[in-house]
Amino acid sequence: MPSDSSRRIRLGAELPLALATLLVFLPVALILVLSVQPVVNIITEGWSFGFTMQNFREVFAPRQPYLTQLGNSTIIVAGTVALCLSAGSLAGYSLSRLGWSARTTILVLVAAGLVTLIPPMALVPGLYVTLDALGLLGSLAGLVLLNTVFNLPFASVLMKVYFDRVPHEIRESALMDGASELRTFLRVMLPLAAPGAAAVAIFVAIMSWNEFLFGLTMTTGGRTSPITVGIASLVQPYQITFGEMAALGTAVAVPIIVLAIVANRWIVAAVTRGAVKG
Amino acid sequence: MTSPMSSQPSRATPDSAADTAAPAERRRSHVPVWRRVLPFRLVALLPLAIFLLVFAAYPMVQLVRMSLSEVEIAGGEFVWSGAGLANYAEFPDDDIARYSFLITVVFIAVTVPATVILGTVLAVLVRRATLLAGLARNVLLWPALIAPVVVSVIWWLILSPNFGTLNKVLESLGLPPQGWLGSSSGAIVSIIVVDVWHWAPLVFILIYAALQGIEPDLIEAAEVDGATEWQVHRHVVLPLLVPAIAAASLIRLTMGAKAFDEMYVLTQGGPGTATTLVSLYIRNVFFDRLDLGYGAAVSVLVILAIGAVLALVAIGRAVGPGKGPAHA
Repeated sequence: MPSDSSRRIRLGAELPLALATLLVFLPVALILVLSVQPVVNIITEGWSFGFTMQNFREVFAPRQPYLTQLGNSTIIVAGTVALCLSAGSLAGYSLSRLGWSARTTILVLVAAGLVTLIPPMALVPGLYVTLDALGLLGSLAGLVLLNTVFNLPFASVLMKVYFDRVPHEIRESALMDGASELRTFLRVMLPLAAPGAAAVAIFVAIMSWNEFLFGLTMTTGGRTSPITVGIASLVQPYQITFGEMAALGTAVAVPIIVLAIVANRWIVAAVTRGAVKG
Repeated sequence: MTSPMSSQPSRATPDSAADTAAPAERRRSHVPVWRRVLPFRLVALLPLAIFLLVFAAYPMVQLVRMSLSEVEIAGGEFVWSGAGLANYAEFPDDDIARYSFLITVVFIAVTVPATVILGTVLAVLVRRATLLAGLARNVLLWPALIAPVVVSVIWWLILSPNFGTLNKVLESLGLPPQGWLGSSSGAIVSIIVVDVWHWAPLVFILIYAALQGIEPDLIEAAEVDGATEWQVHRHVVLPLLVPAIAAASLIRLTMGAKAFDEMYVLTQGGPGTATTLVSLYIRNVFFDRLDLGYGAAVSVLVILAIGAVLALVAIGRAVGPGKGPAHA
């Protein structure tokens, strides 16, 4: 229960916070505003504002690759979330509830955690020849697998944390009733860790939607790339494509901002649990 | 990393004895042979293990092998030939490589403390605020959640020399426009500012969550004892935040070594090589110069450098004086 002192309005806190919020909000607002400005308004001196959907029509015209790239990114997100949820909940459950020694558990988690400490670019040469050997270079399947590798350690740790909170007795009584291990996991334990699965899904979806480095290095660009590569391709020093850039950036950022507003609580939980434990 | 096992001593049994839980014992006789060879707990770990082996361990082996080879691309195929340590011998004479390591260290040395301090201050402010707490808690997350490429585009729209918003603002104030990304120092300062804007929000989330975990009673007790706001934060809140601040610093440290998207989009590593951080340099060697062996050698050196830093941190934690709440 908040005491009187915590309900008081402290200008010493409110004013700097207002400034910080504004400094975060304005640059984001800028891209939203520019995305609906006629190009003339952007490239003339001084300030004039209008409204047009021309930038969006331009980037999503059929001759442009961006609509295909949005589709690619959606497929990558769906595939990565599915793989991370299934492999991550299995691994998290095994490490949490199936009697591995503390030493084994820590060894597995540390081995998985090391992957996330290495700069992905330093692994790119090795990953490049690996995907090449598997015939997956430039494919969406290859990108799904790479996104999965770098998100799976986090997904496993987070699922373990949630399974740790489910009482032992529940699993044991399910087994006593004759359910198989697999059935116990799918029908009894997994539903109880559903909040963890939701947090994993949101986190992995954001990470794989935003992923750029593998999309850039493992594909040949154009219609084979995720949308993040498409946005980067618009930034050309000697070409003014601000309108298209802003429109595409808005199309990619708005779903995430909506998610940030709607699922704020989940995101905070996912980031803190995963980051601190991992 | 904390071990949740410690709260369940009965579970911390050796692996071999772990299957002797009562219900499993009773059904042992019906269990098919393959089940005993591959119990469910092992099967459940296999997907993770296979992913780590195929897409982390194997590429790592390939990386090291490549760093010891001369790799040509002929007819769309990789042609490997042994090169001994020739690729590594190239490194000491490579001015750009040495500069990219140096500028990465500078980048980390500035952005990690800046984001950690700013993020911590924001977390404390949000906890103390009432009017703006809800709004700020939401908006302050945005930079950390939006795609880094989009963050880069946002700052390109602001900093671009031609019709960038910042120059437009300067002009309407009657000030001369600046080529923000055009000079070496300007570009370096710019990517640092962008990085702080981008990732202070991540530290904010981490510290804010840790603040939520502090017992309000502790703070109230200090207030009742007549401590000022500053004293409460300095002597009660800050010591309790030390583990979270350490974790956030470590996360930000590894993120600094990974930084790539912003430089690739905003400066392409320039002007010249001013903002060519190690990740961008590896990409350039590998994909522009097609010097695969040398690119792999630089990658190995980067991984070794990070390993050395993390080992130092681990040793520092093990033997250091921080045996207090930092290990809670």
